[in-house]
Amino acid sequence: MIRCPNCQHENLEGALFCEECGLSLWGDAQEEVSTRELEEDSDEFSVKSGWGTATFEEKNQVIIHIRDYPEPIIITPGEEFTIGRQDAASGIFPDLDLTPAGALEKGVSRLHAVLRRGDDVLSIADLDSANGTYLNGQRLAAHQPRLLRDGDEIRLGKLVMHIYFK
Amino acid sequence: MDFVDYYAILGVPPSASEEELRRSYRLAARRFHPDVNKSPGAASAFRDVDSAYKVLSDPHERQEYDRLWQQYKASAPALLVETFLSRRYVRPLDEPQLLYVLLKVQPVLEMSLAADAPLNVCLVVDRSTSMKGARLQHVKRAAQHIITECGAEDILSVVTFSDRAEVVIPAQPVVDAPSMKALVSTIRAGGSTSIRAGLQAGLAQVERHRHPRYVNHLILITDGRTYGDEEACLALAREAREAGIGISGMGIGEDWNDSFLDRLASITGGTSAYIGSLEAISRFLRERVRSLATAYAERSWLNVAPAVDVELDSAVRIAPSPMRLETATCPISLGALNGLAGTRVVLQFRLRTGASASGEFFVGRLDVGGEVLGSGQHKERVTLDLNVQVAPDAAQEEPPPELFDALSRLVLYRLQERAREAVESGDIAEATRKLEALATRLLEQGQEALAQRALAEARQVMRTRSLSEEGAKQLKYGTRALLPSTGDAGNDQVSELPT
Repeated sequence: MIRCPNCQHENLEGALFCEECGLSLWGDAQEEVSTRELEEDSDEFSVKSGWGTATFEEKNQVIIHIRDYPEPIIITPGEEFTIGRQDAASGIFPDLDLTPAGALEKGVSRLHAVLRRGDDVLSIADLDSANGTYLNGQRLAAHQPRLLRDGDEIRLGKLVMHIYFK
Repeated sequence: MDFVDYYAILGVPPSASEEELRRSYRLAARRFHPDVNKSPGAASAFRDVDSAYKVLSDPHERQEYDRLWQQYKASAPALLVETFLSRRYVRPLDEPQLLYVLLKVQPVLEMSLAADAPLNVCLVVDRSTSMKGARLQHVKRAAQHIITECGAEDILSVVTFSDRAEVVIPAQPVVDAPSMKALVSTIRAGGSTSIRAGLQAGLAQVERHRHPRYVNHLILITDGRTYGDEEACLALAREAREAGIGISGMGIGEDWNDSFLDRLASITGGTSAYIGSLEAISRFLRERVRSLATAYAERSWLNVAPAVDVELDSAVRIAPSPMRLETATCPISLGALNGLAGTRVVLQFRLRTGASASGEFFVGRLDVGGEVLGSGQHKERVTLDLNVQVAPDAAQEEPPPELFDALSRLVLYRLQERAREAVESGDIAEATRKLEALATRLLEQGQEALAQRALAEARQVMRTRSLSEEGAKQLKYGTRALLPSTGDAGNDQVSELPT
């Protein structure tokens, strides 16, 4: 079996391209890809594949860099970790409140997305938000979890953030 | 003339003793006998082996055969067949493994220059109400161009159809081009679409002058769907294939049934194309006819007999006219063999070596043949066996660049196919994942317009749970048009993206 570094699909021995996502499985594909610095500078609407590790172990934490926000945020997600915009009036308290980062102006929903911890992986799912969740430039369908990798770009409405595993 | 090289089929030298023949026959029986190998290709391979053994094991018949074989051996080979395997060494495993094979069939060069086969072509034109106006005008103009380009040695006919078919120009040599063009200009739109009626009348016209000397072909041009007679159309295509008549389909606009047209064409080894803009109609048609005129062999075919532990997953023709080939029929029609570019096919095999295997592993037998146009006696058939070595420490090998390049494009076409299948089975999550993956791969290969299209369709699927007719066709024919590698071939497949 050959595990695809992009989507984790297990391909048959001898496969040259991942059956699920079409990634080339031959050679040192990981080395051919642009550096992380470039990704950070790239346009927020660009589509690119992240190439960081997808392994997220028990001891790992997540560092979130929000664009135009001075401080990185370090979180330790539990089994489920919601991201959104706190609204005491309707009694909604997400695990991570993005109000200080301008969530309201940037169209972040009150319950926008959720991080979930699996077996050594971390996934994200959109919670049917008004303005959508984008992973590396691609809009996610609501309630469909997607695997996160170290260095991925997430956009909630117009709020752009990069996540790193620590 | 269908002389078959029995020595090649049994894999023995002409000097082989009876004992050698028997051994070789037993080996082949173990590989291909219908009791052990259920694939249709193997059944066909076994029939060949069986008749070879029957003749060669009889001393009297063998003597007779050897005389003919001497003549055959002296004749020039007509086809050059090469294979490129994704790897030479495999590991012994219980689980299935993949092996890709690029098959190249080239005409032998000096002969290909001599080959300039006359055409026997029928244009079958949809004149239903929806063709009214610019569509029909463009098709008529394209047909007139073709009449101008044909010579007196070519046979041309034009058939139109709506609810029923009419023969506008009966099959005849193109000697009086002005009158023929005038007849084309009389075509008027009106009525519904019955493709079966058109096909039937068109095939009858090709039939009148059908001869191995000609490239016998029917080109169907439609913008609509045929209702209820798809099966009858496919049956006609199978008859055409038996008669050696190829069928190409061209769809205009968004409404026609592309999977039906694909099947129709692939049965005969022909091609189907999507014409996005009216201006492209003429170019398409002329290129199609021109590529027929450079045909070297009509009705080339491939028989794949996989070994007992091997399956043929898929066969895709990369060039000319990329197309997924119908592997359920046996042999597989490869269509006309182009005199200049040859034919290239990517095969995907799934093998099970078993964990205790070692040494040589037989993957399967390929038989390639074609009726070389205007040829005297030539070797028109090539048989070759595919083998790999099983080695526990087999390292990763560099795949042949041409094969790898073809696969990198094929993967796009596959993602598109799978997105479509997912939509059809109602799995919207899967469909959007496939479309997004497709967009990513397209961007990697610098295909921005198509990538944007894929993303737009992903959004469309999320909103409406279905692909747009137009988008689905653009993705399909767009990814298909990428299949021939940039360097060569692909001359008759032009993809039209809207601006």
